[in-house]
Amino acid sequence: MRLLIVEDDAPLATGLSRILAAEGHAVDVTSRGEAAVAAASRERFDLVILDIGLPQMDGFEVLRRLRAAQEEKGAPVPVLVLTARDAIDDRVRGLDLGADDYMVKPFAMPELTARVRALLRRSQAHAGPRMVHGPLTLDMVARRAFLKNESLELAAREWAVLEVLLARVEKIVSKEAIIQAVAGWGDELSPNAIEVYVSRLRSKLEPAGVRIRTVRGFGYMLEEYKDS
Amino acid sequence: MSERSLRANLLRMLLPPIAAVLALGAVVAYFPSIEPATEAYDQALVDVGVSLGSYIRGSQAGYRFDLPPAVEQVLRRDRFDTVYYRVISPGGQDIAGEAGLPGPPPEKDAREGLVRYDTRVRGDDVRAVSVQAPCGRSTCTVLVAETTVKRSRLAREILVSSLFPELLIAAATLVIVWFGVKRGLRPLARLSEEIKARSPGDLRPIEAAGPEETRPLVAALNGLLNEVAQASRSQQRFLADAAHQLRTPLAGLQAHTELALAQPLPEACRAQIEQVHEATIRTARLANQLLALARAEPGARGAAAECDLKALAGASADEWVHQALARELDLGFELEAAPVRGDPLLLREALANLVHNAIAYSPPGGRITVRTGKRDARSFVEVEDDGPGIPPGERARVLERFYRVPGTPGTGSGLGLAIVHEIAAGHGASLTLGEGAQGRGCRVGITFAHG
Repeated sequence: MRLLIVEDDAPLATGLSRILAAEGHAVDVTSRGEAAVAAASRERFDLVILDIGLPQMDGFEVLRRLRAAQEEKGAPVPVLVLTARDAIDDRVRGLDLGADDYMVKPFAMPELTARVRALLRRSQAHAGPRMVHGPLTLDMVARRAFLKNESLELAAREWAVLEVLLARVEKIVSKEAIIQAVAGWGDELSPNAIEVYVSRLRSKLEPAGVRIRTVRGFGYMLEEYKDS
Repeated sequence: MSERSLRANLLRMLLPPIAAVLALGAVVAYFPSIEPATEAYDQALVDVGVSLGSYIRGSQAGYRFDLPPAVEQVLRRDRFDTVYYRVISPGGQDIAGEAGLPGPPPEKDAREGLVRYDTRVRGDDVRAVSVQAPCGRSTCTVLVAETTVKRSRLAREILVSSLFPELLIAAATLVIVWFGVKRGLRPLARLSEEIKARSPGDLRPIEAAGPEETRPLVAALNGLLNEVAQASRSQQRFLADAAHQLRTPLAGLQAHTELALAQPLPEACRAQIEQVHEATIRTARLANQLLALARAEPGARGAAAECDLKALAGASADEWVHQALARELDLGFELEAAPVRGDPLLLREALANLVHNAIAYSPPGGRITVRTGKRDARSFVEVEDDGPGIPPGERARVLERFYRVPGTPGTGSGLGLAIVHEIAAGHGASLTLGEGAQGRGCRVGITFAHG
């Protein structure tokens, strides 16, 4: 994968770039926001790691320009925002501007690499008209599901629940959020109904190693697929 | 003067002049009305004197005074006062009556024949008149006096009847002042209510409504608020800068120690770099916690806002669940709406500290529950685990900065609960430490004063 790191602190930038390179990624580094915007418009990156506290053009501005440029091109590049400030406004502002994830410095490198992997997987799953997660494929155009290349029968509601979980793979999704996404046709859905759909999905998906974790009292998470 | 209430001061200042006005009013009302009243009594005495004069018989032999017993009785029949009379011949001899009744004082010895005066008879104060009565070809003097019981009573009645309305007016004045001051000070009361109702971090200027008299006070307060707000802003800016300056190099350091450890290293060298790495992580956490503690200080807090503990917990749920999963812990939620007013950043920090403590101290396989909601109309958040818990004897001390329960594993700084404690106190909330369900584990809760 091709990554762009935008970080003005040289030791951190080189540290990050070497760690991510060791993970097998091609990493470009720049310390300036203007250069980052220019690079992203010239070339295609799979992920941008963006520090908010840049000199001159700050990270928010870079993020805004990246998102504005992509609206024309489509296929948004995932952005992981780094900040040394923990003002909640920064977080909200970053996510509002379209950041995909957010980390406060200093962070443990394994956590960073895990988040990078999850972001890449999520954006890969979305790439094109198909959502892919391990052996599971959802053909968004034909609205057909495949598990290990075999057709998988899903009821409309099951499909809707799975789509929500897949769109946010490895993130926990609250029951309320699932209900909102699924009950789009003006009918009421109880949390119990969601439990029923999830349990049906589990019985269909778990034999193939695709796991949905229950977060007690909160919701569900489609876990990272691990080839066993 | 300054410590007492305005009302008491005002009343104390008003009482002497009101009393003086009252006394003056009484005097002014008394004398004009006592004069005509006593005048009537005097006239009655004069009448008695004139009629007594008609009983004097003058002849060559001398003067006689023949008072019929019936008249004498009428004269004595006064209900209140004793009446005295004395009849004196032109030559100055007593003809009849009370010889002890003194004549008019010399300076009042008027020629017209009628004198009124005050004197004493048999030890009593009396009012007397001296009337000239014709007797033969000459003129006799008739003195008539009566004790002053009626007159005193009349004087008292006049005094009381004139004082009563004045006392009423005075009482009304005091009552009006008492309530009027309260009413007049209402803008001040409103002002203090408004200031009291503010949340601690609210440094917006006070609205300059209200009467002209309170405006300088509001202006002065706003000046002060502005200065405090500026100090608070610069403190917050400093903390944000400090956080940035501190965290970025620490993140770099952490990246490089991890990189170094990923390489093949000589054993001695590896041990050393591991030490550096551990120290870096500890320093990073300590820096975070010190910054959190500094931000929780009164001067550095952000503006208070309406927020919901349920939403705050929900927003961090993903991060916490991943941390819990990494340690094989079951992190669950029981979230009900829990509206509070406060600094969302600090509240999030407090919640995160509680959850991180539970994650750090629970053995693998443990169960942690984050709960928010309302109890007795008070919003609360609590985190319960089934880990080792905090011994009752240590519960007060764990709130102290840098204190760790002896024998606690791990490399905590001992600041987590102190931060939570500080943030709770800053929001007027109380922090409680207890056992979890069935007396196992630990339950730490923050209960707010409102809901």
